[in-house]
Order: sequence, then C-alpha cells, then structure tokens
Amino acid sequence: MRFNEKELISLSRQPSECIAELGMRGPKKGDVVKRRLVKLVVNFLFYFRTDEEEPQGVLLLEQCRVEREDSQVFSIAFLDEAERKYLFECDSQEQCQEWVDSIIKASYEFMRKNLIFYRTEIHRLTGKDPLEQYGIEDETRFQVTCGPQPAHKDS
Amino acid sequence: MKIHEKILTHYLSCTSPVDKEGYLYKKKVRTSSYQRRWFVLKANLLFYQERPADRHLLGVIVLEGCAIQHCESDGGLFVFSVVFRGSGLKTYRLAAEDQLGQDCWVKSLLTASHCYLSLLVRDLGKQYEEAKCQAGLGESNRYSPAIGQSSEGRTQSMVSLNPCSSTFFMPEPVRTERGNHRTNHVLQAPPMPSKVTNKRSPKLWSKRNAHVTPINGPVSTYGEWPQVDIDPLEDFTKLHEYYGEEVKQLKSDWLKRRQEKDKHFEVDLIDLSEN
Repeated sequence: MRFNEKELISLSRQPSECIAELGMRGPKKGDVVKRRLVKLVVNFLFYFRTDEEEPQGVLLLEQCRVEREDSQVFSIAFLDEAERKYLFECDSQEQCQEWVDSIIKASYEFMRKNLIFYRTEIHRLTGKDPLEQYGIEDETRFQVTCGPQPAHKDS
Repeated sequence: MKIHEKILTHYLSCTSPVDKEGYLYKKKVRTSSYQRRWFVLKANLLFYQERPADRHLLGVIVLEGCAIQHCESDGGLFVFSVVFRGSGLKTYRLAAEDQLGQDCWVKSLLTASHCYLSLLVRDLGKQYEEAKCQAGLGESNRYSPAIGQSSEGRTQSMVSLNPCSSTFFMPEPVRTERGNHRTNHVLQAPPMPSKVTNKRSPKLWSKRNAHVTPINGPVSTYGEWPQVDIDPLEDFTKLHEYYGEEVKQLKSDWLKRRQEKDKHFEVDLIDLSEN
C-alpha cells in the first residue's frame, strides 16, 4: 500500500508537547522492551530509535484502546484484538497518566464526538447552529446523527 | 518508516462514519495521465483503490500540512490539487467530472485535517461556555466536559475556519499555542502613570511560566517604550496599542523560543543514547 511517506516524516518533525523516551514493547510474543523516543503528533504516534532522525514507525491512534496496565505502564490495543497490545513503560505515574490522557484526546473520533456535543448544546441553548457562521453545517463529518451513517456517495 | 498498514485498513473498514467517497481522477506523475480511482475520505485520511468493492487498497494520503487548491480545467476534468508545504514534498493532482463534484471534494478536504478540527472544537468549546453563562447556568466551569483545555482568544482562529474564503489557511498544530493564555491577563487596564516616557510596562516580566523559559540562555529584555507625545489620560486607546505591541512581541518571541526549544530538546535526547 502506498502512502505519502516523506510528508508523514515531515509531520513527525512538528513540535509536540508529548515527546519522551519510553520503554516500548511490540504486541507479538517474543517482542522485548526497547528504548524508543515516542512522539505524539495529531492522531499519530511516532517512535524513533534514539540515534535516528527518521521515525522507525508510526501508529494511527484511531479505533484503539488505551489502558493503564500498571502504575507506570500503559498499553495500546488495536484491531479489536484485546490481547495484542503495544506496551509503553514510563518513568513515573504522572508521566504515564499524561500519556494515556493525551493519546485518548488526540483521536480524531474523540474530537468529532466533542464537536457534535458542543454543536448540539449550543444549538439547544441559543437556537443557532454554530457551524453556520463557517459555512460547514452540511459537511457529513459534522453531522449530529449517532451511529454509523449511510455513506455520502458521488455518482 | 513502517506504517502498520493493518491498523489503517482496519480503520477504513470499521463502522466509524465515512466522511466522503466517490470516484475521482488521480494524475500519474510519470505519464501525466489521469486514472480513475475510488476515493474514501475518513478523518484526516484519504484512501484510494481501483473500485469500491476492492479488498486491495492502493494507497492512502495523510492530510496534514497541506493546502487544497482549485486548478485550471484539464481535458474537460475539473482539477484540484493537494499541495504539501515543504521542500521536496508532493503535490497530488486530482480531478472530478463536474464542477459540483470538484467543489464538494475541495470543501471536504479543506475541513479534513486534525488541526482544523482541533481549532474548531476549541472555538465551539468557548462558544459553549459563553452560551451556558448567558443561559444563566450559574458559575461557568472553565473546563469542557471532555477536553479540559484552557480557552484562548478566538479572533485569529475564526478567520481561518471558514473554508469558503479564498485564502484558506491551514494552521500549525495547535499544541504549541497552549501557553498563550498566560499572556492574556496582561491586557487589563494598567495603573495610569503620570508621565509615559521611556517607561517599561508596569507588569513584572521577570516572572515566567516554566513553559516559556528557555532551557539555556538568558531571559530577553524588552525595549523601552516609545516616547508618547499625547497625554495617556486623554487617549487610552493609544496606550492600549502600545501595550498590545509588547504582547505581540512577547508572543512571537515565545513561539520562536518554543520552536528552538523543541529542536534543542530532540537533539539532546538523541545525543544521550550512548547507554
């Protein structure tokens, strides 16, 4: 599958407040803990070998479950496979909690839910749709209906 | 760089909503010919494959740090491009079969980035707090139920949120701006000095937020105030402008230092890898 690698690498260089060296372990049996520079940029988690400028890999933080495993360890599980988890070892409880919170809030789907909440509430309180002033009230992505929607198709 | 394809394809096929899908033409770089592809837009990701029913995904374009531009029509097709800012970065040329298709796609792509959504959510969060206050629901809770981010001046962000303006601007990732709220409290009415000449702002600039202080290097000093020929007691707006200049300078200095600090920080970590 092709992807815009150079552009993603450029994205990995954007400033981020969530960047730290953590112990990282892959989901497969036999994977061991390795020190990696982990960096959260938008809804992507980049990880770098500590002596390299280009990321070793990147994880899309959507449809995943983030959990505290331990006082200083959190995990991310993808693909509805609860047992296959990426593990991250932090240096403190505070750091661990910060990462968990940040990753949850970074998800696009999480932000979309907040947007829909605000949109509904503002409309309820003021009688006005706050998206009208930006001309985006009809965009599918901001619609208020719950659950999976029928796809917005073109001919 | 490994992209963990399975996570991406899983996200595409799961039940979260599709934001837009349809056929578009994609220009091949080498041959300059257009190929018809089925595109699916979900969040800030633009997937493409040959046909809707295909299992095999041809590729994905991550829509961060790019601008969407209308282009001149080409062979009856309505062309637009996804332009990534930065040296050596790509421009994707896409085309729709009609004007309406082009407009719809351009609009959807303009509002697709994570940065855009983040700004929009912040803005709406502020509006929500204001609406609650006005509805008289008692003491306003400064933190949103889900996000807990501190609020920030809206004026700048509002201009960039309307995708219909011809100069649509894709903002930088908003995380770097989080510290800006610290400067807002400066804009209260200062005590009126009897003579405003060569005087610094009465605020205590030496007190700094930990986020703002650079790791190395001294705290920069500020220039003296320009000589004011008017009596400030008669014209507060002028005085307000002078204070405003200082705040603007502070903000841009802070942003510069923040960017340097991030670069500096990363370099240090890489150097410490000897163990």
